[in-house]
Amino acid sequence: MKNDYSPHSAIIKDIIVEAHDTNTYVLEFTDKKFQKDFSWCPGQFMMLSLFGIGESAISISKVGDNGSLYSTIRNVGNVTNSIFNLKKGDFIGIRGPYGLGWPVDKLRDKDVLIVAGGMGIAPFRGLINYIKDSRKNFRRLEILYGARTPEDMIFRYDFKDWRKIKNSNLDLTVDEISIGSRSSCKIGLVTSCFPSMKIHHRNAVALICGPEIMMRYAAKCLETIGFKDEQIYLSLERRMKCGIGKCGHCQVGLKYACKDGPVFNYAEIKQFIHPL
Amino acid sequence: MDAYTIEKKDMKILLKRFQEDYKVFGPIKPGLESKFDEIKSIEQLHLDYISTVLPPKKFFHPPKEAMFSYKIEKGRFTSKEIKQNEKILIIGIHPCDVYALLKLDKLFSGDFKDPYYQNRRKNCVIVALNCVKPSEYSFCSSMNTGPFLDKGYDILLTDIGTKYLIELGTKTGEKLIEGLNLKKATKDNYHEKKRRLETSKKKIKKSMDALKISRIAQKNLHHEVWFDLGECGGVAGSLPCLSCGSCTFVCPTCYCYDVYDTVDFSLKSGTRNRELDSCQLLEYGEVAHGGNFRKDRKDRIRHWMLCKFGVAAGGSNSSCVGCGRCIRVCPSKIDITAVAKAIGGG
Repeated sequence: MKNDYSPHSAIIKDIIVEAHDTNTYVLEFTDKKFQKDFSWCPGQFMMLSLFGIGESAISISKVGDNGSLYSTIRNVGNVTNSIFNLKKGDFIGIRGPYGLGWPVDKLRDKDVLIVAGGMGIAPFRGLINYIKDSRKNFRRLEILYGARTPEDMIFRYDFKDWRKIKNSNLDLTVDEISIGSRSSCKIGLVTSCFPSMKIHHRNAVALICGPEIMMRYAAKCLETIGFKDEQIYLSLERRMKCGIGKCGHCQVGLKYACKDGPVFNYAEIKQFIHPL
Repeated sequence: MDAYTIEKKDMKILLKRFQEDYKVFGPIKPGLESKFDEIKSIEQLHLDYISTVLPPKKFFHPPKEAMFSYKIEKGRFTSKEIKQNEKILIIGIHPCDVYALLKLDKLFSGDFKDPYYQNRRKNCVIVALNCVKPSEYSFCSSMNTGPFLDKGYDILLTDIGTKYLIELGTKTGEKLIEGLNLKKATKDNYHEKKRRLETSKKKIKKSMDALKISRIAQKNLHHEVWFDLGECGGVAGSLPCLSCGSCTFVCPTCYCYDVYDTVDFSLKSGTRNRELDSCQLLEYGEVAHGGNFRKDRKDRIRHWMLCKFGVAAGGSNSSCVGCGRCIRVCPSKIDITAVAKAIGGG
């Protein structure tokens, strides 16, 4: 019987430093045929596995032309800490991709609003590139990205390309800017960019990913400016041990975040993510 | 299929036949409590038991098991699935526990299959035993999971006085008793079974409206019961929950597990293991940076209750079967049927 818990071996081809605690790892499967058959959609995640340490659910931020996987990781826990000790040429285990990604077909001919906080931009990168490549299928694109400081922002090298996307806007906000820094970011919450958006809520879809508290707040704010619950999608973060809906940890109400998510319609999970 | 009877004193013949092909497990009573363990001789077999502490889930989804053995050489890992191919036969499983297995069967199949569970299940023969002595805590009749069984068995036994009625459910079961020259069951035997079912039903004191509670519970996520259960007060004479996780450990449908790796002294090999986890424990919902989606005790006990009412992610595949084990082991005397009644779904 096929064992879904068994990780595939992959080699670290490159490490891109994004911020002081964040790296992007370029991974290639040792099994070339498996790499060729690997299909994914933006917003999905995979389980990175280090034997002797454990597994961690990490989103796919990009798939390169030759099929290499880009996974952007912040050093925050046991597994990610160990991944940070790896060097170019080291091996790592991968299972996946798992979950349902962003509802790309629901975005067709719609204004797309992307709200990202911190590491929440990682699962959006694939989607933004997808929209860029098939621009005529989508209407206006608004990207609002908030981080703690300008130095904490990731994919900064992509911003120039994203700004070139026709009929789009990229707004950056941070909590603070250190003295002497020459940053053009605004100071404030991502939600402070909502009033200046040039999209109309009647024909728009909002996608949010970030810390849970930020997502709740952003979704609430969108509600007040006229978005309906059905127009809002969130990508949730939960503890995951299996990624395939068996270990139980990622339950959100009647759903598993790993199998039925991690992208959920706001209407579907609203009552379960608002704290009591 | 045909049905037979066997004298109770002749059970050793049956056991001997089972032992020819299988490692046989069944209820034993070493002290005050019963448990499922290996049966080597007929004297050990204690079919007269009321309920075991741990459900037979432990044979299929063990409290702890190794999934992979791995080796790391020059930075490269190789892993090997650890397979469990032992053929076992479990005798004397009560209907509630069989229903629990049927639920877990569904949970561990689907788009992604759990090879460990399915492998063990495939290699196991179920000799169920209708429950004529329900415990004071059970409420299987209201959950439609007992006290008598109509599916999920290879062989089904019913205590009908000095004999057991033997009904067959599968070809495997049929083959097992082939050539034993058992007496065919008579109409009287069936009558006796029916009579025993009625008396057994009458002995069940607790109840819960399974359909109603699943509908009501979901609409009452903010009911004061959850606060009483979690923080202060308690429900129907119980103390507040202590988050000890006993209920999840003894529950025959609780499936949540944790995965962790162990490393040998060489630091070059080890095993990846899984272990039953409990949603009552604080770490269950924890994520990086110390975020926790079920930090409060009331959220955790509510989650478990909802799961057992069938309105969590497991759906009806992890819902209650009415075995009453959680009521028996709860140090705070929390009674799931009383909680259901307090929300209005009794």
